[in-house]
Amino acid sequence: MDSAFIPKGVKRCSFGTFSLGMLVLTAIVFWGFYAAILCWLKGLNQTNMNDSYGFALWIWADLAVIAIGGGAFFTGLLRYVIGLDELKNIINFAVIVGFCCYCSAMLILAIDIGQPLRGWFIFWHANVHSMLTEVAFCLSLYLSVLAIEYIPILLENRKIDEVPFFHNLGHTMHGAMAVFAATGAFLSCFHQGSLGGVTGVLFGRPFGYREGIFVWPWTFFLYTWSAAACGPCFTMLTCKITEKISGKKLVKDNVYDLLGKISGWMIGTYMVAKIADTLYWAYVTSPSLGFAVMDYYNAHPLHHGIWILILEIVICGVLPAMILISRKGRANATLFTLATILAVIGVCLNRWVMVMTPMAMPVMTFDSWVSYFPSWQEVATTILPLAGGIMIVSLSFRYLPVFPQEQELNPVD
Amino acid sequence: MKIDRRSFLALGIGAAAGTAFTPLPWKLTDDLSIWTQNWPWTPVPEDGDAYYDHSVCTLCPGGCGILVRKINDRIVKIEGMPSHPVNRGGICALGISGPQLLYGPDRVIAPMKRSGARGEGKWTTLSWDDAIAEVLDRLKKLEADNKTEHLACICDTDRGTVPQLFKRMLSLFGSPNFMTTPSMYDSYEAVLKKMHGRKDTLDIGFDFENTDFILSFGSGVIEGWGSPVRMIMANSAWKTKKAKQIQIEQRLSNTAASSNGLFAVKPGTEADLALGLACVIMEEELYDKAFTGAYSTGFPEFRNMVTKNYNPDVVAEKTGIERHLIIELARHFASAGTSSLAICGRGKGQTAGSMMEFMAVHSLNALVGKINTPGGVWSVEHPDYIPWAKEMNVRAAIAGKKRIDEAGSPVYPDSLSLLNRLPSKILESKESPIEMLFVSNANPAYTLAGTDKVIEALGKIPFIVSFSSYMDETADQADLILPNHIYLERYQDVPVRGGLARPVIGLTRPVVEPQYDTMHSGDVVLKLAKGLGGQVGEGFPWDDYKDCLEKTMADRWKELEETGFWTDEAYQPKPWAGAFGGTYGKFAFSDTILPLPDLEGDVKDYPLILIPKESMRISSSHIGDTPFTVKTVPDTELKGKTLVIEINPRTGKEQGLADGKDAVLKTPLGQVRVKVSFFEGIMPGLMAMPKGLGHTAYGKYLKGKGASYNALVGPMEDPVSGQDISWGIRARISRV
Amino acid sequence: MKKESSHEPGRKYGMVIDLDKCTGCGSCMVACMAENNVSFKEDESNKLDSITWMRVYRLTNNKPFPETEIRYLPRPCMHCGGKGDLGHSPCVSVCPATATDYDHKTGIVSQIYTRCFGCRYCMAACPYHARYFNWWDPIWPADLKKSLSPNVSPRMRGVVEKCSFCFHRYQLAMERAYNEDRRELEEAEYQTACTQACPAGAIVFGDLNNPDHAVHTLKDHPNAFRLLERLGTNPKVYYISDREWVRRSGDNYLNNEKTNTKPAVQEHHS
Ligand SMILES: Nc1nc2c(c(=O)[nH]1)N[C@H]1C(S)=C(S)[C@@H](COP(=O)(O)OP(=O)(O)OC[C@H]3O[C@@H](n4cnc5c(=O)[nH]c(N)nc54)[C@H](O)[C@@H]3O)O[C@H]1N2
Ligand SMILES: Nc1nc2c(c(=O)[nH]1)N[C@H]1C(S)=C(S)[C@@H](COP(=O)(O)OP(=O)(O)OC[C@H]3O[C@@H](n4cnc5c(=O)[nH]c(N)nc54)[C@H](O)[C@@H]3O)O[C@H]1N2
Ligand code: SF4
Ligand code: SF4
Ligand code: SF4
Ligand code: SF4
Ligand code: SF4
Ligand SMILES: [Mo]
Repeated sequence: MDSAFIPKGVKRCSFGTFSLGMLVLTAIVFWGFYAAILCWLKGLNQTNMNDSYGFALWIWADLAVIAIGGGAFFTGLLRYVIGLDELKNIINFAVIVGFCCYCSAMLILAIDIGQPLRGWFIFWHANVHSMLTEVAFCLSLYLSVLAIEYIPILLENRKIDEVPFFHNLGHTMHGAMAVFAATGAFLSCFHQGSLGGVTGVLFGRPFGYREGIFVWPWTFFLYTWSAAACGPCFTMLTCKITEKISGKKLVKDNVYDLLGKISGWMIGTYMVAKIADTLYWAYVTSPSLGFAVMDYYNAHPLHHGIWILILEIVICGVLPAMILISRKGRANATLFTLATILAVIGVCLNRWVMVMTPMAMPVMTFDSWVSYFPSWQEVATTILPLAGGIMIVSLSFRYLPVFPQEQELNPVD
Repeated sequence: MKIDRRSFLALGIGAAAGTAFTPLPWKLTDDLSIWTQNWPWTPVPEDGDAYYDHSVCTLCPGGCGILVRKINDRIVKIEGMPSHPVNRGGICALGISGPQLLYGPDRVIAPMKRSGARGEGKWTTLSWDDAIAEVLDRLKKLEADNKTEHLACICDTDRGTVPQLFKRMLSLFGSPNFMTTPSMYDSYEAVLKKMHGRKDTLDIGFDFENTDFILSFGSGVIEGWGSPVRMIMANSAWKTKKAKQIQIEQRLSNTAASSNGLFAVKPGTEADLALGLACVIMEEELYDKAFTGAYSTGFPEFRNMVTKNYNPDVVAEKTGIERHLIIELARHFASAGTSSLAICGRGKGQTAGSMMEFMAVHSLNALVGKINTPGGVWSVEHPDYIPWAKEMNVRAAIAGKKRIDEAGSPVYPDSLSLLNRLPSKILESKESPIEMLFVSNANPAYTLAGTDKVIEALGKIPFIVSFSSYMDETADQADLILPNHIYLERYQDVPVRGGLARPVIGLTRPVVEPQYDTMHSGDVVLKLAKGLGGQVGEGFPWDDYKDCLEKTMADRWKELEETGFWTDEAYQPKPWAGAFGGTYGKFAFSDTILPLPDLEGDVKDYPLILIPKESMRISSSHIGDTPFTVKTVPDTELKGKTLVIEINPRTGKEQGLADGKDAVLKTPLGQVRVKVSFFEGIMPGLMAMPKGLGHTAYGKYLKGKGASYNALVGPMEDPVSGQDISWGIRARISRV
Repeated sequence: MKKESSHEPGRKYGMVIDLDKCTGCGSCMVACMAENNVSFKEDESNKLDSITWMRVYRLTNNKPFPETEIRYLPRPCMHCGGKGDLGHSPCVSVCPATATDYDHKTGIVSQIYTRCFGCRYCMAACPYHARYFNWWDPIWPADLKKSLSPNVSPRMRGVVEKCSFCFHRYQLAMERAYNEDRRELEEAEYQTACTQACPAGAIVFGDLNNPDHAVHTLKDHPNAFRLLERLGTNPKVYYISDREWVRRSGDNYLNNEKTNTKPAVQEHHS
């Protein structure tokens, strides 16, 4: 039915199956928008946030999607700036996934603020000292860059490409992509970093607070590094999921191997820095503020226990780094996938802890730990961009020539 | 022109770019900015010149002077009056939130007649003329049936012109049944009658500002006892000059926490401790011999009785306080700095106390010679400024008629009013001996112990007239509501009975026009009296209430209008010679000890004791709390609509409870679902319950929040005074 | 953030609160609500969404009865000077829209309701929970709107609010002073609503930099301390208590550390 739009030389599932999948996703998106509208019309009393837990599920989701969306800028950097040519076979996908992630972040922020119609005050009355100002500027600029990177891929749709204007536009834009990729990489570095700065600068919150250089706390650099390290893992993971669902190989193993190796080394080096940071924070920064490190982990062993630190650093950090660095680990498909999953969990967990524990933890001695569980509106609006993202990826995969190696790997007889 | 894709695109981009250079987007952005900053449903308070007007707060017996901040004709703030002798600029949370009572949603905004069943909350408004005519009809019927004493009236106090107008109307009409809301002042008055032997009514006063040692038998010095703001100020002054305060109590009340030492006696043994201290003071010859010798009677007998029955060993056993501590405390009390004084009246003093305890504590003061001396306990003559309250012909009108509560009868000669005995008297009779009840500035359906019985008794009264400004529990049970102006809308004299060491009369002034269709209760009484005519009508020779007030205040009126208060700055109590009445003109020690009634409930079924917990943040009198004061109630007292019970962690665990979890609290009078808060600051075996919550009336900011203490405890009659001296009840608690 | 004035030290308003005098009565809380048009709702028992610019905390030493002790601690906004007292308060430095600002003339941290867009970053930054978010539309039922003061604008849903040290009172006092051709305020001319209401006289307010003001001397009391001194927030609210356990409750300490009695006053002179 829609075969005219499907790229030449590839096979896609039936329109019926596809529509059914889209229908389910659309339903989820509507549910999410319903929740979002409730929040906009009735206010944030629709959430379970409170004055102690002003940052919660949404802010975590924001930080997490941006971290895992880091595959776009880092792969772009490797492909266009460093010049690792093999990565052209996955860069389109990386850009689309990144674009989805950043759209999600934007959408969630628009729901999260108490006065959405005043959101632009952040630009109009910008406070240059605020990490959130930096976030806002970089986020919106980088989202524009991603959109610009996405456009030429869009223009490659069979039908659109038939229009000479679009064909030429796409061609020209492709030529300029290195400039955009470089700009994007630069913006995203700052963007990821400023997100790290968001909690790192909170000198009133010992759990999140980090020392650093100039105006940047160490988390600034750790966030950038971890996004660069784990972002590609998410790209590869989603790519592998796409392969699984579509039932065919889309990217050659040497591409995975290369990106996996780089990721592995990035995670490895990140872990060295993260462990150093953790030790300095635990044994120097915190005690100087009157906190023994176990004060952070003792109160609620279930929600905020030390296990979470071990899980983040050892199981979701050191372990995937070791797998991906070793040739044998990369060669084993199961281990490889496991490593990407662990890395993604690791970076999300890091963002989770950095958002949740500083909110939950009492700083005044006579205050108490606060627990929080998101309302359905928060959950729905967090799932909304996830479903939306899957829709965009599915549509892109169906109608755009995302994977240059697909034809070669899956010859249509 | 053919519009192809390319030109369409160009047009679109061009239009967008062009628009960006027009003022349109900027205008829209500006509008958006303004609109998001000014939502029409967020109120914009009307501006105007600010000015202050003075008045007096009547929300508790404290009698604080207030400055009312106004913008045009609106009250926007109430502050303390710095020049006022009672509060010197300080003010309590309830006093500040007065505007919320004035403009609040719980006011009765017009005369109302009940149109459904009692307590059903169905009302129809009627005109003031119709309302007054209806009351008159019923009064005339009582008169015709020769049942005038079947009319009763409950006021908050008998002080001041408004209660006295009610009382006068009742008397001239032929009813002695004028009753007042019980409080510790009833006990203190009875003590002064008994031990000072004076026939005229005296006010108890405490020279706190000049004392160095305060021994408090459970009094919530900083929790609303006496005149609350004055007490908090005195407490701060004690800290500054390093005066000592010792608290005798079973839990770490704010007063106990602020004190220099807590003596946690076993509950109900306060009087024993007082007598134990007296014993030490007498045995160690630390007492004031000048006083006991020349100015007292009955001392040898008292001494005999006390040394025989209350030696430190016996008292240590009874109270659970170690012997040496009792001895040290007694020595300290008898020899502290320039002065020491002992006080009683539990919590806020909103209930009477046992005569045994009050007399024992007063004897302590007498032993150390601190009666009517600087820094001591004073009997304060009050400025007898209502001459018409004493006219003999008024009393004659009720000669021979018996009070239903038996106050002043040979059984309870020292009590003026025993409202606590009214419910059982009504319930005992087949037909209610009270056929018509007036309730003014009182809310017995909430403040009297044993709420169920009180409401049952009210239910038997054929006609109840409430003068309440608010839709409170008693108004809920009324047949007719004749809403009074609230204190910010009316004139009224406020003679302060808060344990002050000098007489103070405040003047409440109408700082705003009445906001609703209300009428001053004084004017309503005048209208009723005139409507009745005859002897009653003649007894009220004033045009209206204001006329009555001005004439009554006479020389003091001008000063009152201008400054808001009258006081006798130089007041000194009578010296010992001349201070006391009775046969010998001496202070009378007493050796009669009547045993106290046991706490209600069986120990086996009810192993724990429930006591009230009072606080400045919750009003537990006839005034209901405001949205602001409810906001200050901590979540260790109220969580959602559930009351939180304070219990010692050890006891809690023994009872199988968990901190913060739900439980069922049961007393012989009822049960309620509560949450549990473990707190080390309460004696094991006890539970404390915030008093002042659990209203069944008022609006959504108060109604149904928590549970009412008075609904769970019953009255406990003092064998001497007949007053309700209940201070707790046996209880049990179990997990749900 | 404005540039600091370089010629004069400036006023630095602050409080010294005597915890041994505080009775926990709540007058300060209600005085603040009434003065500043603070909203209220039907259920205020969830203290995590109840707007109380001034909140009185109960501290306890947790010893068993009868050795238990409690103290009440009134907590307004601390008007933090931030590290080095440069005006980089935890909250001011993070607000992306400059909706909260440090006034170098008074040391007061302002809050501009109509500019705040409700991101709540400032709340995450404030360790004292001094900031409150308007989760609901404020509602003043019946005639209660009449009790609103025109000196402070009511807030709308979706914005953050907090104690302003009753800044409008400062402005009114300055206005009067200027009309009388004065440039300085007497101590009594500018007092906050909570200070004025406190029956215990527990709160003393004034210019910490002015030797004629009581707070100037009181802040150096040997038993004076500030909350979370070690974080470098540099609060302008000092507390006094003769109890060591109370002073220790003011900050976090490792088990082996001694309670710090002398505030490490971080002054900045440029
Ligand atoms: N806490 C604090 N109080 C202050 C000050 C302060 O700095 N802090 N500053 C003082 C000073 S200098 C001033 S000027 C005042 C300002 O006090 P306000 O005049 O209250 O000013 P804003 O706080 O800006 O809020 C303006 C409010 O007025 C309403 N409003 C604004 N424009 C319009 C309009 O066009 N139509 C209608 N119907 N309503 C409108 C909106 O409801 C909005 O919430 O505050 C004084 N009080
Ligand atoms: N972001 C944001 N900015 C705002 C506003 C807002 O709502 N949001 N509100 C705006 C409004 S309404 C106002 S009024 C301004 C207030 O902003 P400012 O004008 O900065 O007000 P103040 O902080 O009171 O400072 C006034 C200073 O001027 C001096 N001064 C006062 N009177 C006189 C005088 O008669 N002569 C001289 N020579 N000096 C005097 C005093 O020393 C005082 O320090 O802020 C405006 N800016
Ligand atoms: S203490 Fe009593 S009289 Fe004084 S302000 Fe408070 S309620 Fe009014
Ligand atoms: S008003 Fe004063 S005494 Fe009362 S709680 Fe506040 S600071 Fe403490
Ligand atoms: S107490 Fe909190 S809100 Fe106030 S200045 Fe400090 S950080 Fe900001
Ligand atoms: S919530 Fe408002 S004041 Fe706070 S940081 Fe965000 S914009 Fe600034
Ligand atoms: S200083 Fe003013 S705004 Fe701050 S807590 Fe006190 S009364 Fe409220
Ligand atoms: Mo202004």
